[in-house]
Amino acid sequence: MSGSMNWVERLLQDGGVPPVAAEWLSIPLALLIAIFGVILPSAYWYSFWRRKLGADLQARVGPNRAGAFGVLQPLSDFLKLLQKMPQVASRTGARWRRLHTLALFSSVATLPLGSAWLLAGSELGVLLPFWSAFVLTMGALLVGLERGSVPGWMGGIRLVAQAVTAAFPALVCVLAAGARSSGFSWKQFALDQSFSPLSWGALGLFPFQLIAFGVFLISGLALLNAEPFDTALGERDLQGGVASLLSGEDLAWFEFGRFYVFLHWILMAVVLFLGGWQLPAALHEWATSEDRYILLAAMELAVVLGKGFLVMLGVTWVARSLPRLRVDHVTDLSWRVLSPLALVALIGSAAFHLVQGAVHP
Amino acid sequence: MNATVSASVFSAVWAFCLRLWRALRSIALACFTTLPYLFRWGDRRREATEQYPDPISSRTAEDLPPRTRGLLFNDIDRCTGCRECERICPTRAIHINTEPGANNNKLWVSTFDIDFARCIFCGLCTEVCEPASLTHTRQFEGAAYDRRDLVAGFGRGQVTEEQRAKWAALRRMTDLEEGGGE
Repeated sequence: MSGSMNWVERLLQDGGVPPVAAEWLSIPLALLIAIFGVILPSAYWYSFWRRKLGADLQARVGPNRAGAFGVLQPLSDFLKLLQKMPQVASRTGARWRRLHTLALFSSVATLPLGSAWLLAGSELGVLLPFWSAFVLTMGALLVGLERGSVPGWMGGIRLVAQAVTAAFPALVCVLAAGARSSGFSWKQFALDQSFSPLSWGALGLFPFQLIAFGVFLISGLALLNAEPFDTALGERDLQGGVASLLSGEDLAWFEFGRFYVFLHWILMAVVLFLGGWQLPAALHEWATSEDRYILLAAMELAVVLGKGFLVMLGVTWVARSLPRLRVDHVTDLSWRVLSPLALVALIGSAAFHLVQGAVHP
Repeated sequence: MNATVSASVFSAVWAFCLRLWRALRSIALACFTTLPYLFRWGDRRREATEQYPDPISSRTAEDLPPRTRGLLFNDIDRCTGCRECERICPTRAIHINTEPGANNNKLWVSTFDIDFARCIFCGLCTEVCEPASLTHTRQFEGAAYDRRDLVAGFGRGQVTEEQRAKWAALRRMTDLEEGGGE
């Protein structure tokens, strides 16, 4: 537990629920609100804009049939997936694939949606997206192994190789951010920054934190096998690669899990480097003094999600303007470019921080 | 020696930075090439693709290029059942069953199934087909709601035991006539 009340707990207490009951009820309620009120709508929104933006950038027609301007396309896709015949009648496989997606959501409690949302803030919070990323990777590996063909096995191993090589620079960048903030909890990172872009982490200890931000984002995309580094998952090998086993409901679950981990990673980047959920000081003081905790939670959520969506759309812009990279090119990139840059960012940030501390004790 | 080492380290770092700069510039150029299409700047107003099926300029099968590799068709009357197409198919999409027919020179192709869920339309099967019975059509609309509907059957069908026995007898007669003639 974070030690301070989240907004759901306060709401329940204000509604007359006893404090102990409110404390226990607030956690599942907050998780449900996070999943159904934040993650699912985000998945819908991102799915629509990714296709729309991708089509416009590539001079294609794009979604325009389902609803006005194709707004209902993600819903149409979801309903289509539910109706598709599965490729392999594997009930056991389907059950553990559901379990795998549920395991990904074990980190929802530490999703950095705002100061009043953190259900379990701790120094380990920044490491949980890595846990989700590795669960996703291992699940995809097992999907490839289940395929029972050489392309499936090789595809799964390629996927893991890419993820492992990208994890190192990502972790080093988190250390670099921690060197700046002198701590690894979400709150520490957020309090170290403010609403003004000039005080964002990415511009601090210039240029080392900016390098760390760039390397963190790119290595995250490689770690999660997200575009444009999704060759291992995106390609359809002859006679079935890793993801060709998945269709229909299985594919919907798998893609939802992938989106959740991607969202978690982007939110992590926003909190570490782009000011997090910080509001303008005057607005924050007003909301706090008037005890408008629900409005405060909503505004912080809007800020962090808004920044996150802008980063996501930026990733889409770059991904749709470039071809996919081959897996060995991605591993090469991780070892020979991202890792050295991450180390430069870490050493530079630590040295800068020490010098600053010596000059201004 | 130290100066040489320092120079080589410096040049390696400089080369790294130069390559990084060129890569970033290349990515930026790619991104700013696509940006005008997003905002329809200049003459980039129309999409390069068409809505399918486009009522204004809809394309039919006849509009397609001559060597289009559409859905496969097997003329079973010309097919000899040699199974070369089955052997060469990289996805094992073709399944053939044959048995001896009335004539020693021709097999009865009872089953000739093509699973279009597996077919990748590479055209290898049509290239190895000597009688040229297996060809690509220009049909491209092969979607189905049920996976079983994606299997196209061109075989002549299973024969009964009686028919099989008649054919065996016919073949024996032919063998005797040919043997007696020699």
